[in-house]
Amino acid sequence: MTFPHLLRRPAWLAALLAGLNFPVYAGLAIALNSGDGTISLIDTETYQVTGTATVCKEPHHLLPTPDDKSLIVACAAANQLVFFDPASGREQKRIRDVSDPYHLGYSPDRKWFVVNSLRLDRVDLYDPVDFRLKARLPAPRTPSHMAFDNASEFVFITLQDSNEVMAIHLGTQKVAWVMPVGKTPAGIVMAPDNRHLLVACMGDGVVEVIEWRFQKSVKKVPTDTAAHNLQPKGDGRHFYVSNRSINGSISLFDSKTMSVVEKYEVPGGPDDMIVRADGKEIWATARFARKVQVIDLVSKKLKQSIPVGSSPHGVFFLNHAGLR
Amino acid sequence: MIDQLIEIFVRLQGWLLEHLVQPPLLALGFGSYLELAFDGIEFFLCGVLQISAAYLLLRPLETWKPIEVWPDRKAVRVDVIYTLLDRLGVVPLAVFALLAPLFVAIDGWLRFHGYIPWQIEDLIPALESRPLLSFFVYLVILDFAEYWRHRLSHTWRWWWALHAIHHSQRQMTLWTDSRNHWFDDLSNGFWFAIVALLVGVPPGQFVGLLMVVRTIENLSHLNARLSFGRFGEHVLVSPRYHRWHHALALPAERRFRYGCNFAVLFPIWDRIFGTQYMARALPPTGIEEGPAALTHADSGYWRQQWEGIRGLVAALRPQRVALASEPASISAERSAKAERSEQTEGSHA
Repeated sequence: MTFPHLLRRPAWLAALLAGLNFPVYAGLAIALNSGDGTISLIDTETYQVTGTATVCKEPHHLLPTPDDKSLIVACAAANQLVFFDPASGREQKRIRDVSDPYHLGYSPDRKWFVVNSLRLDRVDLYDPVDFRLKARLPAPRTPSHMAFDNASEFVFITLQDSNEVMAIHLGTQKVAWVMPVGKTPAGIVMAPDNRHLLVACMGDGVVEVIEWRFQKSVKKVPTDTAAHNLQPKGDGRHFYVSNRSINGSISLFDSKTMSVVEKYEVPGGPDDMIVRADGKEIWATARFARKVQVIDLVSKKLKQSIPVGSSPHGVFFLNHAGLR
Repeated sequence: MIDQLIEIFVRLQGWLLEHLVQPPLLALGFGSYLELAFDGIEFFLCGVLQISAAYLLLRPLETWKPIEVWPDRKAVRVDVIYTLLDRLGVVPLAVFALLAPLFVAIDGWLRFHGYIPWQIEDLIPALESRPLLSFFVYLVILDFAEYWRHRLSHTWRWWWALHAIHHSQRQMTLWTDSRNHWFDDLSNGFWFAIVALLVGVPPGQFVGLLMVVRTIENLSHLNARLSFGRFGEHVLVSPRYHRWHHALALPAERRFRYGCNFAVLFPIWDRIFGTQYMARALPPTGIEEGPAALTHADSGYWRQQWEGIRGLVAALRPQRVALASEPASISAERSAKAERSEQTEGSHA
């Protein structure tokens, strides 16, 4: 068996490298095609789609379990969470009767599993062990993405259609506050200083910086048309911002200077992203082009356009640079 | 080849979003509707393709073997307008905008009280990994629901006042399928939303198959002597089968007093529920009774919409008002005409 062949057997390699306590490079990317209800399995070495599987109606976002042994896919229209082995792409289990899951998040202390229901204006708080519903909160309108503070005291939710950010106190499971932000807020992350929230506002094409303890907007940083989502670079300082228009782009945002430092052209409506652990590539689903775009971060150019299914949304591989 | 066609389609869809739809949506603060708008553009482009396919495939049949030949096709023009508004998404968008908030509120309320609406996949989990089978299961269920919606629209007086516009066309062609009053479309949307709440929504990836289904619905209204054969006529609603549904004079039996052949795709529902009428004749179409029967047939788009509202108001009044097109008024006289029509098959061609 030659080395390239070994690379195509991700489970072997994952087991081997995990045993050596070495960063795992499993060689498999999973992209969710929300329009088709399918997942595309992509070889991260050859950039070829090696398989497509029907999963459920409207798979939107995904989230690895804290131990990386499972990848949870939120199937909004099917009311299900579907678990996959992120190394092989094999389905592990389904949890039914999870109402309209759209966006998912584990609190940093792993005590809460939070589900946003974008269509039905609601946020659900689950026990992350047995996925029992603990609290259900109205969140008008259209709760989109979420972020947590480092102490897991709050979950912050963007409300797309009411142009607000809502904070839920996880201890009391009650809404702590709601504050106005720019037009159509979507992606939200906690800055490494745990002091500022960064909110991508599609309608304004900006990242809005919020001092969340004072519910105060401190800066609006223009990125590009339809600023949509944020993904950490993995260096504890920078974030990639997807600007989701057809002639879209990805901006590199410096959370220390609160400014945009680079921009890459990424056509097709870049949406969810993931960065390779070595920092050499960023993968983004191109929502309006039926593609996953791979950007070479060394040459800063589009490297590959991988044809997938309709309206691709979430994308994941194990060999990533970190998720928060 | 197919990949290249999809690529061209997606590029055009993206171009329309980028240049025509996205700028006003973002400027007006409706950025979260971008995905919906993208789907809407797909609906529009599929509508263009579907109308083109229906015209190119079906119109030659109407020219080649017409059932009826008219001195002019003036009355058909209004149906073309109805078709464009329907298939290119104007009417569906309006219906969606009106009904979506209501049904989202109902769905949300149910879930907030611990009830997650049931889906057919909960009963048959195997459908989750067999999308094509799932599509056909949903198609059969929705066609069953359509049968009853259609039958009720002939039975309930208020609904018939609206649906009569569809039936008032005396020059029935492939364009007639979309000839519906706005409130009739709204009622249909309401019906579909209830069914979706009860059984779930069908998988969304079979756009091509949906276009085929819509073309079959065009086909059923065709002004062409087209037979699906002895077996085929029982499997799929044919122009002949559906023509009896639109007949100026209905069959004589009491069970047909509100109409016959209500099925939209599969005639089996009429067979099961006793509303099937099979005959070789190709009767003239339209509504005969009442002053509005002719008004509907000859008038323009807005006049028909107005007449529909007037008919609806009259139907909802407690006292009995002579309606333009009341289903109960389908009389023995009309039935007798049906028999005559059958005897003179083809005489009007």
